[in-house]
Amino acid sequence: MPGGDPEDLDPGMARERTRLAWARTAIAFAALAVAILRREVVAGLVVLAMVPLVWSLGHVASREPAGKLPSRRLLLMTLLITLVSVLAGVVALLGHAPASLDQLLSRHG
Amino acid sequence: MLWHWHPPSLPLDRPCQHGWPERPRAARGGATSSIDQPGGQAAAEPAAGTEPDPRFTLANERTFLAWSRTALALVVAGLGVVQLLPPFPGVDWGRHVIGVPLIVLGAAVPVTAYWEWQRNQWALRRGQPLPRSVLPRVLTWTITGIAVLSAIVLLISAVR
Repeated sequence: MPGGDPEDLDPGMARERTRLAWARTAIAFAALAVAILRREVVAGLVVLAMVPLVWSLGHVASREPAGKLPSRRLLLMTLLITLVSVLAGVVALLGHAPASLDQLLSRHG
Repeated sequence: MLWHWHPPSLPLDRPCQHGWPERPRAARGGATSSIDQPGGQAAAEPAAGTEPDPRFTLANERTFLAWSRTALALVVAGLGVVQLLPPFPGVDWGRHVIGVPLIVLGAAVPVTAYWEWQRNQWALRRGQPLPRSVLPRVLTWTITGIAVLSAIVLLISAVR
């Protein structure tokens, strides 16, 4: 229905808002990837590689027929975040934290 | 229009005239099995509930995504505390005590959010009231606990 009332095509803009919510989630993922990247390059790159995947999940969402449930995508998302949390936990525990304020400043200076 | 049921408590200014193709009811026979009923009796009742308004399904998905972002923010915060803060003088373990619980919480939140998403979707199908979420309470108490821990670490650091 080109030129139709947008309210009829996408009531309450629910579909668009959901796609934007996926985009925000992907950006949050990227922020976490950068935070990990500062300490552990490999782990950070692994998380950074997941960002396009999360982004594309949102685009899949906006094209699905109305009756289809996003169970698989949401389950994948749950697994990804749990995996990334474990990764971040390992980086936090094993990655050598700056031993002193001087070391911290010199590293970022 | 039986399957476009609206809970009476939600004011909807428009009748549901979405642009998505309305599939015949026979084609949705298997739709119920894709969401598990708590207790696992879904298979015994293939026609349980009706397809909710797509707006509700999408809103439920966004709620899950909002909790996902909360989890990611918790992990970033935990990582930041451990890796970016200067050490507390005299309390070497201080950063880990504050940061690690945040990361653990970040791992637990999306799992709970997925479980609640399923539960909400099931309630929407049945037209039942939405079950209360446990996440706000868990988040409140954990963050309060971490704030108390931070205060303790700071006090120990100041005394030494």
